[in-house]
Amino acid sequence: MLMGDKGCRRADRVTRRSVLAGAAALAATSCGPRSASPPLRFWATSYEGDYAPHLMTAFTAATGIEVDVQSIPSTAAHEKMLTAFAGDALPDVFALPSGWIGEFQMIGALAPVPSPDYVADVLPPALALAQVKGRNFAVPWSAAPQVQFYRRDLLRDAGYETPPDTWEAWREMGRTIKRRRPDEFVFLTLLNWPDTLFSMLYQTGMTMLRDQDTRGNFRSPEAESAFAFYLSLFTENLAPRALSTEVQDAFAAFAQGRYAVWPSWPSLLLDLHRRRAEIPRERWGVARLAGPKGPGPTAMIASNVVVSARTAQPQAAWALVRHLTSTATELRFQQLIGNLPARASAWASPQLQMPVLRPFAEQMRQPAMAPKIVEWERIQIEVQLVAERVVRGLLTIPHALAAIDGRVDQILAKRRALVEAGRIA
Amino acid sequence: MSSQERTAWLFTAPVLAIIVAVLVLPVTLALALSLTDYSIYALADWDNVRFVGLGNFQELLRTALFWRALANTALFAVLGVPMAIGASLGAALLLHDTTVRWKALWRVALFAPYVTSVVATAVVWRFLLNTRFGLINYALSWLGLPPVDWLGDPHASIPAILLFVTWKIFGYNMIVFTAALSAVPQDLMEAARLDGASRWGRFRHVTLPAIGPTLLLASVMSVAGFLQIFAEPYVMTLGGPAQSTVTVLYFMFDEGFKWWNLGQASAVALILFVLILTITFVETRIGKRNQWL
Repeated sequence: MLMGDKGCRRADRVTRRSVLAGAAALAATSCGPRSASPPLRFWATSYEGDYAPHLMTAFTAATGIEVDVQSIPSTAAHEKMLTAFAGDALPDVFALPSGWIGEFQMIGALAPVPSPDYVADVLPPALALAQVKGRNFAVPWSAAPQVQFYRRDLLRDAGYETPPDTWEAWREMGRTIKRRRPDEFVFLTLLNWPDTLFSMLYQTGMTMLRDQDTRGNFRSPEAESAFAFYLSLFTENLAPRALSTEVQDAFAAFAQGRYAVWPSWPSLLLDLHRRRAEIPRERWGVARLAGPKGPGPTAMIASNVVVSARTAQPQAAWALVRHLTSTATELRFQQLIGNLPARASAWASPQLQMPVLRPFAEQMRQPAMAPKIVEWERIQIEVQLVAERVVRGLLTIPHALAAIDGRVDQILAKRRALVEAGRIA
Repeated sequence: MSSQERTAWLFTAPVLAIIVAVLVLPVTLALALSLTDYSIYALADWDNVRFVGLGNFQELLRTALFWRALANTALFAVLGVPMAIGASLGAALLLHDTTVRWKALWRVALFAPYVTSVVATAVVWRFLLNTRFGLINYALSWLGLPPVDWLGDPHASIPAILLFVTWKIFGYNMIVFTAALSAVPQDLMEAARLDGASRWGRFRHVTLPAIGPTLLLASVMSVAGFLQIFAEPYVMTLGGPAQSTVTVLYFMFDEGFKWWNLGQASAVALILFVLILTITFVETRIGKRNQWL
């Protein structure tokens, strides 16, 4: 207060030095309502991080609290956040995908949500994904169910208005398109993207882990059918045997018609908007993913806002959470980057009644529930690595499923020991 | 202790203290860590850490990916060291020839890749190696060869990355060899020529013994470098396809920093350390036998 007054008073006497000193004091204190505390730090990944600064101006104007936003690349987010926790460098507030909440809660990185009214109006599936043993450590921000984006023009040429919703018919559509365009592929699902395979596994209704989530349970007829279907897309050359490192610009490939169907997320809506010069609006559509006997639960990534357990400014941090997860902010974010709001009241807005969002809304009512264990992220990646070996003809499906179970048991050894010792549930 | 000795200790003390703090202490701690099952559960609660003795090492020997990583790393070293040193020596010999003009320009051009960023050059090489649009496959098509799926075929991925690595690093040893070649005694060379020694004979019996020590140094550094290869597969292929470019260091990074199994990762680091030490020891023995040291 003293400094600020002095700065303001001094600026009256105009000498060069006093003007400079005054300017510095002004910048630091603004000579008005001032915030003594350092700015809040906020981390989010990819588009959420890139566009989050647009949401902060309103917050800073209303509360006077500055927010320092950092965008984290999604491919390195997991290790970056874990390392930050170990080094006591986590930001005050950060965005966390639902699959990681259990892990970060276990290591004690998350502050519990102080009051139930933070999550009062949240869609039940998004809340279910965010809770750890019925307790709230995260406030759902957006929900992203996996759906398929398809090329209307290419499907129409093959005689389809929309993609069929059963596996058999979906693959048949793929064959028809492939016959017309033998040099191109149909399905854009790459060998290091686990989500399409996991959606297929979820759709069979299988339970992937057993014995209190301490052992793999992949040697089942359901898993075998999902693997067989997944493999057939590659053996029939409907999907490419390629990694994301080889397809430099997946969007361009989709826009150029190299693929007709892309199982993906709402974040693609922003790409489709920004790069609409490459692919006009009337050439693409959205539908729920096909399932064995019709659409079923698919992989869902809900993004959540969490507060670090070690934040020095809990009040400001929770105020930021309230601002970010308010209906108005979520609707604004939806407009900016296509994110789907986690708040039920936001879905009543006319902005969300666009036909293109209907498949998302339907899919959101049927999310897949991934096991909430620390090792799940790793298990998904290892399952996909084995699936890649199957696709490359290095393993047969029965061997692969046995290998997955063995590997999962190995990964879960520590958890098993702790569960048996009664140290964790 | 004489006063001279005391002064010597006093002068070296700051350096010794730093070495203890940043080298000896961390290495000892890592050694201790490799005997525990430190994992992400230890971040939650220190009581979850158990002393497991050699358990981590036994576990590693049972992990198929670790063996695959060892084999991949060995392949990188076995193919990469001769490729890199051969390219360096070849380029240095070519540039050493008196008929070559604009030597400085050539040296800069060939050394430039070494000082550019790995990530930037890797992006360019990913385009060069692209199956459908890449320049390398375009060149192969001129020779009537079918396109190679460089980064997508598990058998082609290591050679593809080696092409990139060789191009990236050969400039450094080339400069070292250039310096060594200028020290080859000219009178010996002329005497050999007068005695009718062939080009190969002069290289084998005059040049090679003179640059022997440099060659040994270059190979020791290259072997250690190739055994620790990480950045190139990390940016080019993320360890794929089918984990064919996962190296020991990549495996260690994944275990330690991605999944926070620091106990296991420390065990890998220790194994790698012993491996490099052994190989360097063997190399220096060979060097001694040839009287290069």
